[in-house]
Amino acid sequence: MAPLQLQTVTKSFGAAQVLIGIDLAIHDKEFVVFVGPSGCGKSTLLRIIAGLDEATSGQIIIDGTDVSRLAPVDRGISMVFQSYALYPHLSVYENIAFPLRVQRLPEAEVKAKVARAADILQLTDKLPLKPGQLSGGQRQRVAIGRSIVRNPKVFLFDEPLSNLDAALRGDMRVELSGLHRDLSATMIYVTHDQVEAMTMAHRIVVLNAGHVEQFGTPMELYHHPATRFVATFIGQPNMNLVPATVLGTDAGGLAVELDGGPRLVLPVEPGAARSGDRVEVGIRPEHATLGDGIAMKVRVLERLGGVAITYGIMSSGQRFCAALHGDAAVAEGDTISVGVNPADCHVFGASGAVLRRLKAPVLAA
Amino acid sequence: MRMDHYTLLQKIGIYLGIGLFLMFVLLPFLEMFRTSLSPMSHLFHAPYEIWNSEMSFQAYRDMWDKVPLLGRYIWNSIYIASMVTALSMIIITPAAYAYARLEFPLKALSLGAFLSINMFAGAVLLIPLYRLLNSLHLLNTYWAMIIPGIAFLIPTGIWLLKGYLEKIPRELEEAAYIDGASRVYTLRRVVLPLAVPGLIVVGTSVFIGAYAQQYLFAITFNQVKELQPLPAGLNQFIGYQSVEWNQMMAAALTGVLPVMAVFFFLQKYLVAGLTAGAVKE
Repeated sequence: MAPLQLQTVTKSFGAAQVLIGIDLAIHDKEFVVFVGPSGCGKSTLLRIIAGLDEATSGQIIIDGTDVSRLAPVDRGISMVFQSYALYPHLSVYENIAFPLRVQRLPEAEVKAKVARAADILQLTDKLPLKPGQLSGGQRQRVAIGRSIVRNPKVFLFDEPLSNLDAALRGDMRVELSGLHRDLSATMIYVTHDQVEAMTMAHRIVVLNAGHVEQFGTPMELYHHPATRFVATFIGQPNMNLVPATVLGTDAGGLAVELDGGPRLVLPVEPGAARSGDRVEVGIRPEHATLGDGIAMKVRVLERLGGVAITYGIMSSGQRFCAALHGDAAVAEGDTISVGVNPADCHVFGASGAVLRRLKAPVLAA
Repeated sequence: MRMDHYTLLQKIGIYLGIGLFLMFVLLPFLEMFRTSLSPMSHLFHAPYEIWNSEMSFQAYRDMWDKVPLLGRYIWNSIYIASMVTALSMIIITPAAYAYARLEFPLKALSLGAFLSINMFAGAVLLIPLYRLLNSLHLLNTYWAMIIPGIAFLIPTGIWLLKGYLEKIPRELEEAAYIDGASRVYTLRRVVLPLAVPGLIVVGTSVFIGAYAQQYLFAITFNQVKELQPLPAGLNQFIGYQSVEWNQMMAAALTGVLPVMAVFFFLQKYLVAGLTAGAVKE
C-alpha cells in the first residue's frame, strides 16, 4: 500500500484561489482526516487527489509515482461520495461489481470479489436488492463495497456520514475504523465534523481558507494547537479566547492581565512578546473550575448530567464558557468565579500564532 | 389546513375552468365524430341537429372505397413520424448529453441559436428547402418529408432532454469515472437507463411534432401519391363536385387512433417525466 505526497498543490477558479500551496506527506496505511469549515477547500483537495479536478499547479505522488496527469483509475484510488452515488437502476450486486465490469473481468472472478466485499460489509443477503430498498447505513456500506472490490492503494471518503442520523453516524464511525484496520489501507477522509476527525484519525489536517493550519495527531491538535484557528476549531465547547495585555516576561513565562479578569503568569515561551503587547489567552471550557479567578455572570446553563456547560459574561463584556461539574452549585443569573490552572492556558499573539506551552501534557506517541 | 383542501366555491370555480378548457379542446373532436356518423344529406341540415335517426358507421366502410390508398396513407404517416423520431433521437441524445455535461466553445450561443430556429415557421423556409432537396434529388421520396422534419425538431428535443439529463446527479458519473468507465460506457450503463422516462417524453414530443408538421412538407415536397401521409391524403375526399365530409372525418379519426392508443400507454411516463425533479423526493 501507498504513501501519498502532495507537493505545493494549488487550485484557482479564475481569480479565486481555493488552495494555496498544499504540502502534505501521508504515511502508508495511515488514516488521515481533512477537516475544516465549509469552503476551506477540503473537498476540492480530495477531488484533486482523486483526479476529478485538476490542480492548477503542484504534484500528487502516490507510491513514488507522479499521478498528477493520470486518470483516477490509474492512480490506484477509489472514492466514496457524500451522496453514496449508487446507481439506482442496478442491484446491490451490480453496484458493487461495477468497477469490475468496467475492467471486463470474467464472471467467476466478479462473483468471488463481490462475495468477499459483501461478506466484509455484511451485505450478502442484500445483494439482489436495489439501492432504493436499503437504509442509509446499508447504502453507505454498498458505496464502500464498490470502492473496496478494486483493491485500491488509497481510499478517499468525501463526508460519507453526513447524510446519516446521529446514532447511525456513531455506529458507522466505529465500522469505518474497523474497516480501516481490516483492510490496512491508506485512507483519506474529509469531514467538517471534528468528532469524526478526533475519533477516527491517526492524523488530522486542519484546513482553513485554502491552506493547512496544522497537520498532527488529534492530541497534538488538542494540546498544542499551532494557531488560534485550530484552537477554536478543535474541542467542544469551543475554547474561550480572552483578550489580555502582556505585563512582562520572565523565566516562568509570560505575565498577563486578562481584560476584566485577574493577572496570571502563564508558562509559555514568550518569544517576541513584549510588555504592553495585546495577546489572547485561550482557555478550554473543560479546564475551568469553580474557584478564585475569572468573575462572570451566568447567562445560560446547560446541565448534561456529567457536566454543566455554563455560558457567562465577564465584566468586560467578554463571553466565557465553562464546563463545570454536573452538580456544580450554580444557577442562571448568579455571578460566579471560575479558576484556571495557568499551565492549561494557551497564548496567541496578534498574528494568531501560538506561543509554545512549556508545561503541556506529554503526548503519547 | 392541507394544501389540497378547497372550499366548495373554489371547487366549483376550478371545475368550471377545467370544463371550459376541455370544451375548447374536445368539442372539435366531438364534432368530427358526429360528422363522421352522419350521412351527407343530414350534414347541412338546418336547424343543427346533434343526433339524427340515420346516423351510422357507414362512412367508416365507404371511405376505403372512395380513397383506396387510405390504409397506405395512415401507414405513411406513422412511418414518417417514426423515422423522424428514431433519427432525431439518435442525434438528440448525445447532443443533449454534451450540452448538459461538457464544456465547449460557443455552447451558450449555439443553444440560443437552436431556440431562434423555432421562431422561423416552417413555411418561411419552404422555398429554400425545396431548392435544397431538389439539388439533393430527394424530392418525391420519403426523405423529403423526413429530413426537414428532423431538422425542425432537433432543437426543441435537445432543450427538453438537456434539462432532464442535468437532473441526473453528477456524482453518479463521477463515481463511474473514478472506477475507470469511459464517457460512452457511463452514458450507456448509467445515464441512459436513468434517463428512460426523459427519453420517452422527448421521443413522444418529437413524434407529435413530426406527425403534425407532415402536411406542409408532404404537399410541398412530394407529389407521389403512394408516399403521401394521411393529412395530405385526406385531400382526396375533396372532389370536383362535392366534399365527402363524413368520410374525411372518419378517415382522420381512424388515422389518429393508433397514435392515441400509444399515448394512452405512455401517459404515466409523460406526466412523471414532465414533473421529474421538480421537487426533492
